[in-house]
Amino acid sequence: MTKKRVVVTGLGVVASNGVGVDAFWRANKEGRSGITPLDAFDTQDFASRIGGQVRGFDPAQFMPEDTARRVDRFVHFGLACAAMALEASGLDLAAEDPDRIGVIVGSGLGGLLYHEEQMVAAFDRGTNRMNPAAVPRATPNAVASQIAIRHGLRGPNLVISTACASGAHAIGEALRKIQCGDAEVCLAGGVEAPLTQFNYGAYCALRVLSKRNADPAGASRPFDRERDGFVMSEGGAMLVLEERDRALRRGAPILAELAGYASNSGAHHMVMPDPSGADAARAMTAALRDSGVRQVDYISAHATSTRSNDIAETRAIKAVFGPDAGRIPVSATKSMIGHTLGAAGAIEAVVCVQAIADDFIPPTINLDHPDADCDLDYVARQGRPAKIRAAMSNSFGFGNCNAVLVFSPAL
Amino acid sequence: MSQATILQKVREIVALKLNVEPGRVQAETRLAEDLGVDSFGALELMFEIEEAFELKIADDDIEHIRSVNDIVQHLATWLAKVPAT
Repeated sequence: MTKKRVVVTGLGVVASNGVGVDAFWRANKEGRSGITPLDAFDTQDFASRIGGQVRGFDPAQFMPEDTARRVDRFVHFGLACAAMALEASGLDLAAEDPDRIGVIVGSGLGGLLYHEEQMVAAFDRGTNRMNPAAVPRATPNAVASQIAIRHGLRGPNLVISTACASGAHAIGEALRKIQCGDAEVCLAGGVEAPLTQFNYGAYCALRVLSKRNADPAGASRPFDRERDGFVMSEGGAMLVLEERDRALRRGAPILAELAGYASNSGAHHMVMPDPSGADAARAMTAALRDSGVRQVDYISAHATSTRSNDIAETRAIKAVFGPDAGRIPVSATKSMIGHTLGAAGAIEAVVCVQAIADDFIPPTINLDHPDADCDLDYVARQGRPAKIRAAMSNSFGFGNCNAVLVFSPAL
Repeated sequence: MSQATILQKVREIVALKLNVEPGRVQAETRLAEDLGVDSFGALELMFEIEEAFELKIADDDIEHIRSVNDIVQHLATWLAKVPAT
């Protein structure tokens, strides 16, 4: 049985370096960082004090004020991205069968901010007086449910939590849902609002965050030997995925095809990648096979700006592409966006779709001192025009949860 | 606290929480029928009331609240029981 083909017909994105696809893509093309000193909470006790805060974002622009007041920040991002993606897709929901439209969203942390506020308040005032809204606001599946409620979408509704690969898994699993006929359309993506005092402190304790506080825009430097950890950011992205034939029939704006997907586990360690990159290589090979594409012309690397990840991923790319690896541009947009954890795979899917549609590869900024162990073409400092026959997006989460997506031009 | 003061405070909380015009919230206003408050909304509302008046309302009492005036009557009783601090 031939698999159904699935295309991308709408995008929505909220990131530290741009809200909305146009602003976001322009920032990435121009190499603009969204990293600044944090003021979302008090950072004075922490060694790291920088991050990618989304600024100039008013939730009420994208949802009723009453809804905006009643959901956590990670749901704000989900509802905003979903609204943008739906509008861009031109889908007329009133004319669609809502039972055939699903929502699949990745989030590593769920409604952490609200959870944290309520925990502090509850232990302060006494645990016999808790806010009943803590349950429906903090639960990770609030994001997929709120999107479904808002737009009346009654198909499969899931939240996937695989740490920093959550958004990529959500998009990949939505591809499968459409391929097997469980849905015709899926809103798929990832969201994260991790900039809370407790969560940021926990990552500081893990010693994985950059301490380059004096130079926020230069702090996220994947593949650069001066790197000292990743930069935590918030944001989200949603894609409208649609079965290709019906998208063609309704004259939808087809931005790219989601050609392939694979996921696996490194079964190695909760916070360290397998240094050989063998598990990442297996996932990349499987995604290529699933997609049937022959030539990859761009790889959006997971590349968090930690030494262990950079080296393992470089090894994996070489293992998969052999002598061809040096020819393929690999870029790390986390150098500009920061690491949005569960949203990253979805935000970088937007990067891949835009790169294909706009014939342009965004740069890895801050790559000033090449690391001897990282010797591929990382599109250092400056983006470049390029015709892309297929783009691969890598996402590798804590706990060795790997997901790889392959996009190709709309043909 | 006088009943009039309690009523005024309750009206303000209800109007703010439900995002409705204060004029729509009178003593005789019914929560479900007039303001569309469902059972979860009622729990949220009572939580706000508990916060504002710094007391804990018994679950059995919450079940009997239908109108703004019910809230005021119960609050008057509860506040009378709480020793002034």
